[in-house]
Amino acid sequence: MSGPGTSWYLALAAFLFGIGALGVLIRRNPLVVLLSLELMLNGGNLALIAFSRHFVNGDGQIFGLAVMAVAASEVCVGLGLVVAINRRKLALDVDRLSELRG
Amino acid sequence: MTYGAWICLLSPLVAAVLILLGGTKLTRRTAAWLATTSIFVAFGGAVWAFLDVRAQHVIQNASCIDFNAHCQAPGGITTAWTWLASGNFHVGLQLLIDPLSSLMMLIVSGVGALIVMYSIGYMDGDPEERRYFAYIAFFVFSMLMLVEGGNLLMLLVGWGLVGLSSYLLIGFWHERPSAVRAAKKAFVMNAFGDATMALALFVLIKHTHSVSFGALGAALSGTQANWIALGLLGGAVAKSAQIPLQTWLPDAMEGPTPVSALIHAATMVTAGVYLIARTHVIFEQARTIELIAAGTGALTLLVAGLIALVQTDIKRVIAYSTMSQIGYMFMGVGVGAYSSGMFHLMTHAFFKALLFMTAGLAIHALSGEQDIRNMRGLGKLMPFTKWCFLAGALALVGIPPFSGFFSKDPIIASAGALGTWYGWVFWLCGIAGAFLTGLYTFRLWFLVFPGEPSAFVLEHHHKQGRFGEGPWTMLVPVGVLAVLATFGGWLQFSPHWEPLTHWLQYVTPTLAVAEPSSTLELVTSVVTVLVGLAGITIAWAIYAEKRLEVPKLPSVQALLENKFYFDEIYDRIFYAPAVAIAGALRTEIEEPVILQGGTDLGQTTLDAGGVVRRIQTGVLRTYVFFLAAGAAVLVLAFLIAK
Repeated sequence: MSGPGTSWYLALAAFLFGIGALGVLIRRNPLVVLLSLELMLNGGNLALIAFSRHFVNGDGQIFGLAVMAVAASEVCVGLGLVVAINRRKLALDVDRLSELRG
Repeated sequence: MTYGAWICLLSPLVAAVLILLGGTKLTRRTAAWLATTSIFVAFGGAVWAFLDVRAQHVIQNASCIDFNAHCQAPGGITTAWTWLASGNFHVGLQLLIDPLSSLMMLIVSGVGALIVMYSIGYMDGDPEERRYFAYIAFFVFSMLMLVEGGNLLMLLVGWGLVGLSSYLLIGFWHERPSAVRAAKKAFVMNAFGDATMALALFVLIKHTHSVSFGALGAALSGTQANWIALGLLGGAVAKSAQIPLQTWLPDAMEGPTPVSALIHAATMVTAGVYLIARTHVIFEQARTIELIAAGTGALTLLVAGLIALVQTDIKRVIAYSTMSQIGYMFMGVGVGAYSSGMFHLMTHAFFKALLFMTAGLAIHALSGEQDIRNMRGLGKLMPFTKWCFLAGALALVGIPPFSGFFSKDPIIASAGALGTWYGWVFWLCGIAGAFLTGLYTFRLWFLVFPGEPSAFVLEHHHKQGRFGEGPWTMLVPVGVLAVLATFGGWLQFSPHWEPLTHWLQYVTPTLAVAEPSSTLELVTSVVTVLVGLAGITIAWAIYAEKRLEVPKLPSVQALLENKFYFDEIYDRIFYAPAVAIAGALRTEIEEPVILQGGTDLGQTTLDAGGVVRRIQTGVLRTYVFFLAAGAAVLVLAFLIAK
């Protein structure tokens, strides 16, 4: 097996996931929050595929494909929401969209 | 045979369901005639079944000369399907058609059909006629179920349904609080009897694994037989309104008059007599219990006769006379003269239905008046009613040649035939009862019918129908029953002419000890008729001629008017403690624990929710933070645990 070892891939995946999580936590623009979510998902995907290669088992890759499909549909909904919010001239700020509080 | 029985059973049920489903789509007339026709059809079915049993009976008689126990009873059981199965315990949906049940089918459907036809005129104009006819058809169905039931469980089903439909009919005028109370009372007292019967069945099932009538003949120990017989007797006493469960019957007069006639004559109260005759095998194994049944009858016939002397409501007088006559039947079947008891049941159905229906004609003509003190001289305005009532009254007192004479005397003679001290006590009670019957029946007669009409009668009387006394649907049944009450007793004149006893001999053979000698029968008949006539004469002297004064005994009168204080005693013993316990439970348990507990639980949940809701800020980033923090904690915990 050539190229860097599995742990490198896992470290990269953790790094991506961390950046994404941080972005979701600290950014208030819903578009950027969505982008950060994508980063988290891709971090997860990378880990899946790395393990798939490590164990020489295709299941992880298939799972990664499924995650991509889910991510795509999720982005559709998310972007749709962003457009809807914009159309209603509401502030694009996730902290101010808090009508669902208990 | 089986077709006749099924037609007889199901035709009233079909009518009841049709009226129920038809609702307002049926006119009142249609509903009424539907119910009436269905019960006449049932009578047709009963005749069919009767003729088939009779054909078998003739064959049986030819082959079986000495009527011993090994002769197979004619008739048979028809099973529609297995109704209940549990392990090796099976109960079929069975009908039993034999001489006894075919006799009962004829009485129930025949007299029932006449009564339902009478109600077409009686209930005319009631806003809820359809409901009435649905109920009454259902009532007849229940009673037919009871008498045709092919095992004890089917009998119990009919037994319960009769209780239910009597509840519905007694409380038919549900806007009257007294009617609702009476209906509840009847239902509760009957439920008591149902419960003791069910217990008897449990004992029977435990020991024989069967509820068939044949199982009653199985070898049971004395104690088991006693318990089973006692439970069955409890049911019989409740349904037949014998002491100590008699208080519902007079109150049941709150229902419409045809319902009273149906309850008293064709259905319901006779069920207890039928039950004892049907299960006589177990009662013969528990002879003490059987004699207790006879004693109950003897006591009831006296008590009811005494109470009837002071009642002023025309229907209540007749109601107490029913209790008294059922007392005779209990005495008959209790001493072992089953066919005499059944014979009296039949003649009683004729004359008691007749008395109630003529009383109904009088009540109808006086716009609902029921107080006999206001009715003097009604006979002049209503001659047909008057003569029909007289036929019923003479039959009730047992004056030859009216039917009661032929059926009552053998019962009293059979009691005397026992020869023991209690036999003679029963005999004396029977004779005393005959005297009381003459007195209270003709008190009623002399107060209501003869003489010049009183001012009240002249003021309130109005002509009914084309014939002045009621529509033909009311007069025809009364006429038919008057003929039956007069001649119906000629079916049997013991000991010389006994077709009914022969008809029932395979099912309910009279016990040898209760077989009176010809001399005893003769003496009893003469004495009974003489004391009956004496009662009539005294009633005539007091109420028609006013030569005698009613003796003034205020304490006795108060005792009788309050029906021996049975209601008050039951109130004290059962009702008042139950109310007190229920009230205490309400204030001590229900309100502080159950009701307050629910409120407290709700309030606690709300308070807890108020605290927890603060976490729900609605800000996305808080949620994400909790998610991430939770995940981090989980990962840490995982690592540490490893």
